[in-house]
Amino acid sequence: MNPPHPEIASQLITLLAAGMLVIQLLMVVQGMLLTNIRLFALQSLMLAAIAAIIAFFHSATHVYWVAGLTVVGKVFFLPWLLSRQVRKMQIEQEIAPMLNSSASMLLCGGFTLLGYVVARPFTSLDRLGNNTLGVAITLLLTGFFLMFNRRKAITQVLALLTVENGVMLAAVALTTYGMPLVVELGIFFDVMVAVMVLGLLVYRIRETFASMDVSKLSQLKG
Amino acid sequence: MMLLVPILVTPAVAALFCLLARSRRVMAFANVIAFGITVALGVGLLLRLQAPPHVVTEWEEFFRADALSVWMVLLISVVSLGTALYAGRYFQRDLAAGVVTPGRVKEFFVLTPLFTSGMFLVVLANSLGVMWFALEATALSSVLLVALYNRNTSLEAAWKYVILGSLGLALALFGTVMTYAAGIDQKSTVPHSFNWSHLMSMAGQLNPRMIKLAFVFVLVGYGTKAGLAPMHTWLPDAHSEAPSPTSAMLSGVSLKVALYALLRFHILTTACLGSGFSRTLLLVFGLGSMCLAAPFILVQTNLKRLLAYSSLEHVGLICVGFGLNTRVTIWGALLHMGYHALTKPVLFFAAGNIHQTCHTLQMRLIGPGMVKLMPLTVVCMGLAAVAATGLPPFGLFFSEMTVLNGGFAAGHWVVSTIVLAALLAAFCGILYQLTRILLGVPKVARTSDAAPLDGVPAMGLMLGTLVVFSVWLPAPLMFVMQHAAGIIGGEPAQ
Repeated sequence: MNPPHPEIASQLITLLAAGMLVIQLLMVVQGMLLTNIRLFALQSLMLAAIAAIIAFFHSATHVYWVAGLTVVGKVFFLPWLLSRQVRKMQIEQEIAPMLNSSASMLLCGGFTLLGYVVARPFTSLDRLGNNTLGVAITLLLTGFFLMFNRRKAITQVLALLTVENGVMLAAVALTTYGMPLVVELGIFFDVMVAVMVLGLLVYRIRETFASMDVSKLSQLKG
Repeated sequence: MMLLVPILVTPAVAALFCLLARSRRVMAFANVIAFGITVALGVGLLLRLQAPPHVVTEWEEFFRADALSVWMVLLISVVSLGTALYAGRYFQRDLAAGVVTPGRVKEFFVLTPLFTSGMFLVVLANSLGVMWFALEATALSSVLLVALYNRNTSLEAAWKYVILGSLGLALALFGTVMTYAAGIDQKSTVPHSFNWSHLMSMAGQLNPRMIKLAFVFVLVGYGTKAGLAPMHTWLPDAHSEAPSPTSAMLSGVSLKVALYALLRFHILTTACLGSGFSRTLLLVFGLGSMCLAAPFILVQTNLKRLLAYSSLEHVGLICVGFGLNTRVTIWGALLHMGYHALTKPVLFFAAGNIHQTCHTLQMRLIGPGMVKLMPLTVVCMGLAAVAATGLPPFGLFFSEMTVLNGGFAAGHWVVSTIVLAALLAAFCGILYQLTRILLGVPKVARTSDAAPLDGVPAMGLMLGTLVVFSVWLPAPLMFVMQHAAGIIGGEPAQ
């Protein structure tokens, strides 16, 4: 099947990728945990939509699988799991981040620039959605920043998940047909298990330290 | 007969069995049996590899074992066997002391075989994507082991381990994806394969810029898991807070499995770009790790952290060996991997015995004269320490000399001098610190519930193997190692 409107697909993908980036920036400045979790769910939904568009225009059946798994896992299951944990622990708000929001925003602007500079040599390739590589690298960098900037264990888990979203976006952007299904499945299950293990640890940390503030984890030195 | 699938399945079956079993004794026994079987299968694989084409594949090349994989399989199974032998009695004492609950002990006996199974999958998978998720699986199964004691400090260590490890692995995944993308040809309609052997066969046509960027990501990513400086900060925490059997597994093989994954990319990058790029990076990170570890060894106050930093130093040396990229140094580095895998668990087992008797790991509080209290443990630890610092007649002396010799012979004077200095510093540090607690007259009166033979079978097995292989490398093993060195050194695998 010939792609009906490659132009439209390309623009849709660019739009959605830009949406993912905007959501990431919102997460950087947003302090409410539950809102952050919802933002992450929305970001994952956009990732799934990108995968679905690519699957449709390349008629690649197994990329639909990727889209479906993302919806099931990252849009519904993980956000549900994390918000349940947040409610159970009755911690709604992130404490003051290391860097205030305007400085964070400025820094993330820098990351975006850097992402596009790194991605530039590869955007000349003639592939659907390759212009999203810059966004993917930016998601990676801002995810790292989010992790170091926040002290609540749950926010760190969310940051890790956005890094994951960035990598998956890169996978979609770079590889045309997505990766082999067995690899995608493996990655999917690993992410699910990782969040469960992290959740278990958060729970134990909360029980032992009566806090979810990871900056209290600082006894081991040297 | 299939060999690779049974190697992967046996530990998984043992894990399942332990999940259903009730008695701790039965679980420990199942672990020992499972790893005994994998050692036997590993030897079988070693023998099968002697015949051309020197590669074993199963499931339409989904699993693939060349000489390098076989070498890793042998290391993983021997260290796991030693650990399983040690763990039974170790947890019996911990339970008696009320440090752990029976539920946690069960967790150990279920997760350890899964951890091992994951490592086997890393070294036997042909697809680089499968290799990635197997490594992630090893990280996830070991993080709960690190947190097993549920102390403040062990939770802290586990949190650092899982967060840094996952970040690293996310970067490695990015690098893996880029490697995959580098091989996609716009015109070809053939479904692209993620297999390492396939990518190697088309190394010349890979997009060099992508491969270069990919290797940087993979180096930082898998380097974190391998504990290379400066991404090593999780390493001393996790090694010191985990139960001693787990510390032995982490240090003995888990670091090297991550290094193995890195090596696969190194080989691919070298085949694509020529030898200059990736080997220089390996050299820099290896030297950095060695130089960073040495001062921490000299001033360390915690026994297991001391051993962890020593592991960092050894991993650094192995990286330097690969980074120097001559046939001799690569061979030395491979040899060093093996000898270190046999030595370091003994040190951690002995440290576990000391920990359980003294209830502390602070060397100041342990005090001198452990030899009076637990002579057999101290003898084993002393021998292993002598081995780990690179003194003859143990194999580590030989492998360190091989790397150094190769380095000097190839004209890398600066690198070799730095390596020599770092090795000397570590040598002084470890021997000085350990003689202070092992020898002398006890200052603190202690009563011990330890039986004299605690942990000795496991330590004896590892030390015995070390001594035997220090003086005698059987021909099949020698062949496989030389072949593996050939694979890394850029020669075709067949």
